[in-house]
Amino acid sequence: MAGTAERMAQNQKQVAISEFFEKNKHFLGFDSLVRSLITAVKESVDNSLDACEEARILPDIRVKITKVDDKKNIIELQTEDNGPGIPKSSIEKVFGQLLFGSRFHAIRQSRGQQGIGITGVVMYSQLTTGRKTHVRSKIATETSAAVVDIGLDTRKNKATKSNEDRVLWELPDGSLKEHGLEITCRMKAKYQRGRQSVYQYLRMTSIVNPHADITFEDPDGEVHHWPRVTERLPRKVESIKPHPHGIHLGTLQRMCTEATDNRMTSFLYKNFSGVSTRAAKELLAAAEINEKAKPKSMKADHYRALIEAFQGERLLNGKAVKLLNPPTNCLSPIEELLIKKGLSKTIDSRFVTTMTRAPTVTQGNPFQVEVGLIFGDGMAADKPVEVLRFANRVPLMYQQGGCLLTKAIESVDWRQYGLDQAGGRGVPKGPAAVLVHLASTNVQFTSEAKEALADNEEVLDEVRKAMLEMGRGLRKHLEKKKKMAKTQEKFELVNDIIPAIAAKSAAILGRPVPDLAGSITKIMGAVIAEGETVWNKETKQTDVAITLFNYTSRARAYTILAAWPEKDGATMEGNEHGGRKEATGVWAWKLEALDPGQTFTITYSLSGLEKGDWTDTDIFFRGSQDVIGATKMDEKLLEEIRRQEQVLADEEADDETGAENEDDASDNDVDKAAGEDEPPRAGGQQTLMGYGSDA
Amino acid sequence: MMSASHTPEETKAALHKVVTEMYDKIVKGEAPTMTLPVRTKNNIGFDNALGVYKYGKKRSVRDATSLGSAKQLLRALHVVEFIEEMIDARKSSTLREMYYISESWGLGKFSSQNESNNLAEDLEVVTKCLREDFKLRPEEDGARMIGNLTLRELNRRGEWMRINARDDVGDSGYGVPYNVEEEKIELVEHDINFIMAIETGGMFDRLIENGFDEDYKCGLLHLKGQPARSTRRILKRMSEEWDLPVVVFLDGDPWSFRIFASIAYGAIKTAHISEYLATPTATYLGITADDIEAYDLPSDDLSTRDVDALKAELSDPRFADAWWQEQINMMLELGKKAEQQSLAKYGLDFVTDTYLPEKLADLGLA
Repeated sequence: MAGTAERMAQNQKQVAISEFFEKNKHFLGFDSLVRSLITAVKESVDNSLDACEEARILPDIRVKITKVDDKKNIIELQTEDNGPGIPKSSIEKVFGQLLFGSRFHAIRQSRGQQGIGITGVVMYSQLTTGRKTHVRSKIATETSAAVVDIGLDTRKNKATKSNEDRVLWELPDGSLKEHGLEITCRMKAKYQRGRQSVYQYLRMTSIVNPHADITFEDPDGEVHHWPRVTERLPRKVESIKPHPHGIHLGTLQRMCTEATDNRMTSFLYKNFSGVSTRAAKELLAAAEINEKAKPKSMKADHYRALIEAFQGERLLNGKAVKLLNPPTNCLSPIEELLIKKGLSKTIDSRFVTTMTRAPTVTQGNPFQVEVGLIFGDGMAADKPVEVLRFANRVPLMYQQGGCLLTKAIESVDWRQYGLDQAGGRGVPKGPAAVLVHLASTNVQFTSEAKEALADNEEVLDEVRKAMLEMGRGLRKHLEKKKKMAKTQEKFELVNDIIPAIAAKSAAILGRPVPDLAGSITKIMGAVIAEGETVWNKETKQTDVAITLFNYTSRARAYTILAAWPEKDGATMEGNEHGGRKEATGVWAWKLEALDPGQTFTITYSLSGLEKGDWTDTDIFFRGSQDVIGATKMDEKLLEEIRRQEQVLADEEADDETGAENEDDASDNDVDKAAGEDEPPRAGGQQTLMGYGSDA
Repeated sequence: MMSASHTPEETKAALHKVVTEMYDKIVKGEAPTMTLPVRTKNNIGFDNALGVYKYGKKRSVRDATSLGSAKQLLRALHVVEFIEEMIDARKSSTLREMYYISESWGLGKFSSQNESNNLAEDLEVVTKCLREDFKLRPEEDGARMIGNLTLRELNRRGEWMRINARDDVGDSGYGVPYNVEEEKIELVEHDINFIMAIETGGMFDRLIENGFDEDYKCGLLHLKGQPARSTRRILKRMSEEWDLPVVVFLDGDPWSFRIFASIAYGAIKTAHISEYLATPTATYLGITADDIEAYDLPSDDLSTRDVDALKAELSDPRFADAWWQEQINMMLELGKKAEQQSLAKYGLDFVTDTYLPEKLADLGLA
């Protein structure tokens, strides 16, 4: 009898699973022909990225889409990675079973928690074209690759294998592939360009996975390549134990019944994060459960009482039991510089600002918010800004309006930061793109479609704060641009218009052209600094030119200082005017007195940078008269930066055998001799910039 | 009759004064400047001697310390040079032609037609010359005229033609040329009692069709909306040289009030030559604000722009007298405006049989 019952239950489950797919196509991302293709690419690429990350491999991913039958909308999708590959024996498990894998139980940040996985793709292909999915897998320890066609027996909820073989996986250059996975499947689908497209998905993926190299061959044969911009893999994420604030009754129940602990105190202490032995005792006291009770002996009332104690609804001595926050090392943010590189790679622009907030916790779940803003002439000025949403490095492409991340952007009055926004509400307009990334162990979506994040006060607050910070950066940038435009106007005025007026009036009156120096000095009445920072394609260097114009009636002497990305590994070349190092990332030139009407230009080139790494040079000055286009150097701040550097240098001095002097600077640099080849961790430049733009 | 025009030498000398101001400033080591009267309603005042509104003493200095005004000065120099060339070559050009010619002026090029028109006016104001002296023609043509009056016009073959504006013209009347100074037009004789200036072509044609000019022995002048300078100038000349009363028949709205002010008192934009263009004896016939009620005319609600215009007129010195203040306030109170042709509510002949005779009777003209 029991056997029959089990079989019946099994059958029910099988029916449920294939029906489940049919009924829930829209939740699973297979509701339209366009979206099905995006979902298939997404499942496959997410798998590849996750696998590479776990195996600590820098991913090379190739996606190819071919139209097989245009009329019937049959498309072939092929994806290939250089991941660890799947052992032959596990292939059918990975591809053939819904909800396979450990990630549904582990509490950590992973991409995969957002789909039903690659099995969905196998099933969709089979349902729409009747064809099996071809898999080629190579693991490092074997010489040949395993190939197999995977189908699904929906009645038995099991994979079916056919055409199993072992082959040598040759690469186009004739060498053998070391390890990796290739999936080829045919499905009814439609390739489309635009906001919601495979192209956009891969582009977004490449922004938040700067360590990945992604190649996409579209149905027209056009190859899109997003190169890797960092060799640094995302931090390896640790699994964490659940935190009492985020636990549900069912989970607690399961954990108790599966527990091997003898006592409730050790059960709580060992299986939850944020629970000390003292807290474990207090929780049990609040729930009126005996400390020595066995977890397996818990009853329904106990679970409920314990959950209430977890949530602080049951008090001990009138107070909720205090719990520690869960650890946040389970999160893997992309980090500011990499977001910057990722954004700059896909969008050409002059201004990028990024920010990674400190990790924090909501309802027992650690989370971390990262944002980026890119602004520039390459984008449409009269359209809403492009919103790039991500959850755990996965692009969110649908339901933008209903998403928490969008709401956070909309809650900011962007008008004060220089973007257009009707009534100070809604997505702002302007030539900009805004990126928001939420990293969390438990991403809450509005629905099973998993395209929009559900409302959450704390997350919203974090995103909003980050937006405001970026907005301030944007405003500063725009103000600076405006100032530069004004200076530019003045230059045009004195260099072009005034001479033309003088010449023309002299011609009409038949008199000699008068000397202009007086008028020009009168009109400008200022010393002006103009900086130019341009990428030199030929030399692969960033060329900087700083010109000082004296448009006053007196001779003036200054020391000009410039910020440069020394701590990012840049070196300064062709600096013919010498000068000296003031601090890490700050160079100074003491100039001879500049007579009225005279100009002086400092030029140098920066090596060791990539295009877009350094697009703007902040200029500072020392001297009594103001310089338009430069900021007066804050000596106290500079002193502070130097002091910090000294501390770091002293710490490292023990290991240093001798001091290496900087070539250019050694003559003048008397007060600092040692340890400057090791860049300090505290960012001197950043501090200086922060001040510089505020002033 | 004083003449408005200057000799080529006078014109050049006046323009050179403008250039000299800029040149001397540079020699002195200062920013070049151009000084000109403020051209807003805050700087016009009634000139008792001339009986019209003229610019007051307020001066503004345009100096080359900003890119925008420096470019203006450079453009002015180019225009001066261009005018001198035309004077020497005995040519003339339209303002629009000058705008296109400026394409080759490099940094001094105009960015819009409006800019070149304004600059031509600036130079007129500063030099007290007329644009006819500058050999610059306006784009707009003059108005049409009908009635038993005779004048002589110098045609392009250099012959004086005698034209009677009733017998020698078709239904469209005599076309007023852009230059109506004595060198071009001579007023010979007339047999009319007054001149009526009319805003719209539709009403002008209605009065002609109804034979109003003959019945009431008057000259009819079509203004074509805001009248061109030549239209205002010929109206003034006829009024002065023939000593004829002038009545003005316009729509009943704030914009018509402004048309009347420019005819009778002088326009703000051309206040430097008001004494040549304004006809201080002209009378506003209608449509008045009280006509709207008295004749129960079909009317439209005032728009916010209309209301703003009326409010601005309340503080305009040209409308400072009691009658105008009453009319403007009445229109604001009514919140209505009416067109001339709304009189057709009572039939096509109502305007000539009833309305105009009644209004003219009030003025003692019928």
